[in-house]
Order: sequence, then structure tokens, then C-alpha cells
Amino acid sequence: MKRRIFFRTAAGAGAVLSADPGPALHHLYAFGQTVNLSHVEARYYKRLADREIECGLCPRRCKLGDKERGYCGVRQNEGGTYYTLVYGKACSVNVDPIEKKPFFHVLPGSDALSIATAGCNVHCKFCQNWEISQVRPEQVQALDFPPRAVADAAVKYRCPTVAYTYSEPTVFYEYMVDTAVEAKRQGVRSVVVSGGHINPEPLEALTKVVEAIKIDLKSFDEDFYRTYVRGELKPVLEAIKIIAQAGIWLEIVYLVIPTLNDAVEDVRKMTQWLHREIGPEVPLHFTRFHPMYLIKNLPPTPISTLEKLRQTALQEGLRYVYTGNIPGHEGENTFCPKCRKMVIERSGYKIVRNDLRQGTCPNCQHRVPGIWT
Amino acid sequence: MAASKVVIVRGKGVIPRKGEVEPKVLANMYERGFRLLTGQNNSVAGLRTIFAPADRIGIKVNAIAAPELTTPPEVSLPLARLMVAAGIRERQIVVWDRTNRELKEARYRLNSGGDVFQIMGTDTAGMGYPGEPITHLNIGSLFSAIQSSFVTASVSLAVLKDHGMAGITAGLKNYYGAVHNPNKYHDDNCNPFIAELFDAPSIKSKHRLTILDALVVQYHRGPSYHARWAETYEALIFSLDPVAADFVGWRIVEDLRKAKGLPSLEEDKRAPLYLRTAERMGLGTATLSGIQIVEETA
Repeated sequence: MKRRIFFRTAAGAGAVLSADPGPALHHLYAFGQTVNLSHVEARYYKRLADREIECGLCPRRCKLGDKERGYCGVRQNEGGTYYTLVYGKACSVNVDPIEKKPFFHVLPGSDALSIATAGCNVHCKFCQNWEISQVRPEQVQALDFPPRAVADAAVKYRCPTVAYTYSEPTVFYEYMVDTAVEAKRQGVRSVVVSGGHINPEPLEALTKVVEAIKIDLKSFDEDFYRTYVRGELKPVLEAIKIIAQAGIWLEIVYLVIPTLNDAVEDVRKMTQWLHREIGPEVPLHFTRFHPMYLIKNLPPTPISTLEKLRQTALQEGLRYVYTGNIPGHEGENTFCPKCRKMVIERSGYKIVRNDLRQGTCPNCQHRVPGIWT
Repeated sequence: MAASKVVIVRGKGVIPRKGEVEPKVLANMYERGFRLLTGQNNSVAGLRTIFAPADRIGIKVNAIAAPELTTPPEVSLPLARLMVAAGIRERQIVVWDRTNRELKEARYRLNSGGDVFQIMGTDTAGMGYPGEPITHLNIGSLFSAIQSSFVTASVSLAVLKDHGMAGITAGLKNYYGAVHNPNKYHDDNCNPFIAELFDAPSIKSKHRLTILDALVVQYHRGPSYHARWAETYEALIFSLDPVAADFVGWRIVEDLRKAKGLPSLEEDKRAPLYLRTAERMGLGTATLSGIQIVEETA
């Protein structure tokens, strides 16, 4: 059963309207019935002359006249003041295994209270969550789920983390940051799943309130970013460096799309860059593409391709390289880079066995990096 | 090849005061416009050359910058009534835009169903953006059910405005309101997106007529309203060529900018190059020499 339920499709299926999910609703709850927009002033923007503004949140730096919305579709200029329309307006809420994000080196086997609002600041033709990311907030039903309620729900449902995920958390930045602060106050950590299109200043502030960020690095080629993402590679690489320098946990996901970004030499360059700029211990996940949204004419990624790319990254010296979306595959497991012993066995999103002891290999005591307790 | 005809009808006194439309002057403007556009003896006969009685006609208005810079009911409903006079039943005519909220802010009284004009946003129950995303060139969108399913013939009744990203917004860009994700099509001065969206089958195959509401033209700092740069221009612009109509609209905006000492859109690095793209795609004419401009005061 899908653990994530989009309001758009689920509203008619008798879903529950509540900010306080009942205990039986381990996967999602809560649907609004009417247009539900917030009116909270945005952070990181400049007022310009004649009621215009310039958004400073992401590299697009949208310059907007009165009543116009940014590329993300969820931030609007009203009379020269910029507002987020999705503050506290969650359109998707789930309790997910943290492996689903995927974070493989963060509290394995734990649950993450996972939230999203509508909107995204890029337009990936292969988006796997387009029903919420590529729509405007009026086009999905949303739940009033303010930061305090999110933190309370995480505590209530024994989730040690809140994950900002599914769509693009950058576009609900204010909601994410305030929730992370509230969650931390209640002893709950925050993890972020992002495409990394965010400017340095807001990103640096974000790294002070969250514990881990996973970046979807969609390619190592600017043309690919321009054509299939409608974004840029360079700011994403900058974001990865800023996260690493901030000292919070970082993992990288690379969705492998047949014929579009699966060239071994490109992936080799990418892994060399990661090794050089970030270090060999950053986990890298090669995940399997499934035809979706605007790219339906390509097959799912052959497993052999994922295996080949994983081997390439390992050859280049990265120590924790995974394959994703292939349940039961050996590439889902964590191996000690020193003695090669399997230290975490996974199957899909489940932890079959976790032999790490306080983050160290039980065989050779090598320390495996991550957030383990 | 025959030149594309664009008719500009000026109506002195059509805006007697800010926010008001003088109905008699407007009626004369429509009358003259359709006669000149179609060569028929009256507007009703002219409309019959464009629409058939069986058509379900969508009049796509632009309600986004309410209340000052929208296609108001005082402009769209007289057009709908002319269509009724031409033999189209009221219930076969829908005046529409993206959302009911925007239409209400533009002073429309919503109505869906029954034997009268339909006035509704795509967010009306039973409409929406059904189905799977449709890809067409660089476009990937869900299309409004009003445009894709309800209507068989389409009129773009757009407000002519300067646009900070596109250069100008007029009849072609008005169809951004027909898809669920217009915010994704503003890169690169909206080029080639405006042309490619118009080229999508559910728009191109249904579009019959462009009328630009140039009663008040925002020639700078659009698409939002700024009184300082809004000219009471008192014109309606008619064309069967959607690209030529917008091209003439562009020239009007440029002339106003020049007269007010503003840089041209090209100098401002936002010339509406999507018009050239549209011409290259065979959607119409964006070359002055290929356009026959007929201008008259009603």
C-alpha cells in the first residue's frame, strides 16, 4: 500500500480531515476541502521600485511585479510585499521509513514524519512527484499543519525526525525553518530532501537548524540541467559544498535515466568531483528511474546500468555507494570500507540487520560516518 | 499571400471615468470592428463568418490584475450578446479564466449551468485540469477542461499590457491561463513558450478570433496596474491572425513608450521575440509588411 497519499487523488476516498491523526493512520491523514493559502511574509527578498520585488531564495532571483508569482508558483508579490502562500499548508504528510528519503546513514530503521507543500523551483521532465511539485497551491488540497503541530505529531508518533521532502522544500523555506526550530525544541531532528537550487545565504541559515540534507544531483552536465530540469548545475554544486562545510550530514542521490544521464564517463567525473570537493565518505545513491510525468517514452533503468555506475563510483574511491529502487539488491547494503563486512542489511525500506555498534564496524572497529544515535 | 488584417477601432469617450465603460460607444466599436474585419454589412453577419450555431464558444478573458487591468464584464458580455444575435445559444458561450476568485475580483457574477451565459473559472466543480500532462514541444501541462473539452471555438479577449518578462502580454499569452502551470513558462522572456503553448492542439485548433482590449494600455511596469504608466487609449483591436494582432499591440506599446520618453522594449532587453518564433512556426504574421492595418474611429 502506498504510504504517501496525495490530497488531489485521495480527497474523494474518504480520507480524514485532521491535524491530529488517529493512531491507525500510520500513513497519511488530513485533507482540506477548500482553497487554503497562507499570507505570511517571505524571507530573502528585496523590495524594488514601483511595487516590484526580487526574490533572493533561489538562483532564479525572480523579479516580480505586483500580483505576480515566482517560478515556484507558491510565492506572490502583493503590493510590493512578498508572501509565501504555503506556510503551514501541508499537502502531503506521511510517516515514512527514513530509508525512503533515502537517508542510509541517519538513524537506520527509524520513521520520519514527512511533509511537503505544493510547488517547486525547477521543472524536471521526469519528476516523480509532479502531482504536488508541479502545481500551484490552489490545485491541491492542503491541511493546516503549523510548525508546532508538526513537531507535536512527530513526538506523538515517535518519529525522531521530521523530513521536508516530496516536492522542493526550498519553496516552503519559512515553514521548514520554523518547523525545524520548533521540532528541535521538542527533541526532534530535521532532515531535508532537496534539489539544491537555493542561494548560499538561506542555505547557510538552514544548515544551522537541520541535521542532514540529501541533495538530488540530477546530472553533471549543464545542458541536461537546462533541458530536462530547467535549472542550473553550478548552484547545486555550490550548495553541496556549503552543506559539507557546515558540518551537517550530507547524502547524494543520482536518479539514473536511460540514455539521458547514464554515461559512465559523466558519472565518473561527478564522482571524482565529489571525492575531491566533499570527500570519499559522502554516501551516493544511484536510483532507478521509472517512466513518469513528461518522460514516459523511456524504459526503467536497467539494473546492470545501476550496477555499472556503482562500480565506477567505488573505483573512484567513494566508500558508500548504493543502488536504489531495487528491493533486495546487494547495493542496498552498507559495507565496512575497511574489512568489507556487511554492517547494515536492507531490503527495500526495511532494515533486515544493523550490526553497527555506536557507528563502528563490529569486526574491525572502523568508524562508519553518519548519525547513528 | 494576402496580408493579415488587423483592425483598430478607437472609441472616443468609451472610458468616461476610470473603471467605467460607456456601453453605446463600445457597441459601436464592436459593430465597426466586425464589419471591417469580415467585410460584412453588420457585426452579426460578420460573426456568422467566424462561428457556426453549433459552436461552443470560449471567451478567454484576462482577470489576473483585477480590478484595474482586466477584461471587465462590460467588455466581454456585450461580445457574448453579439454572438447570441448571430445565432449562438447563450448556454453555448462561456466567459472564463483560471479561477473563480479572480473572476469575482474582476466583478464577474459566476454562473455555470442553465440556459444563460456560463461564467466560470477552471476551478469550477466538474472542470479542473483532467487527465495526464500533455507534452508539446517545450510545453508539459495539464489543460483546462474548459479549453480542452468544453469549447469548440475560442476567442482570446485579452488586455494589452506591458509585461516585465514577456515584453508584452496580449492575445497569445492570454492562453497561459489555460494550463495549470503558467509559472513554468516565464524563462527567456517567455520565448518560445508563448508560441509553443498556442501551437498545442487544444488551443490552435480552436482559436478563431483575437480581440485586444486596449481601452486602457499599461505601457510600462506591467502586467500590474500603475496609474502613472496607464494610457486611456480607447481602442479595441480585432484580428483573425493571433500573431498579427499581438504584433500590432506591441507597436502600440512601443509608440506609447517612445512618446513618454521610455526606452524601447528591445533596449529594455525584453522585446517580445516570441512573436517571431510564432511567425516561424506558421502561427501568423509578425512582420509589418505582411499586415494590413485598418484604423478607424467609431
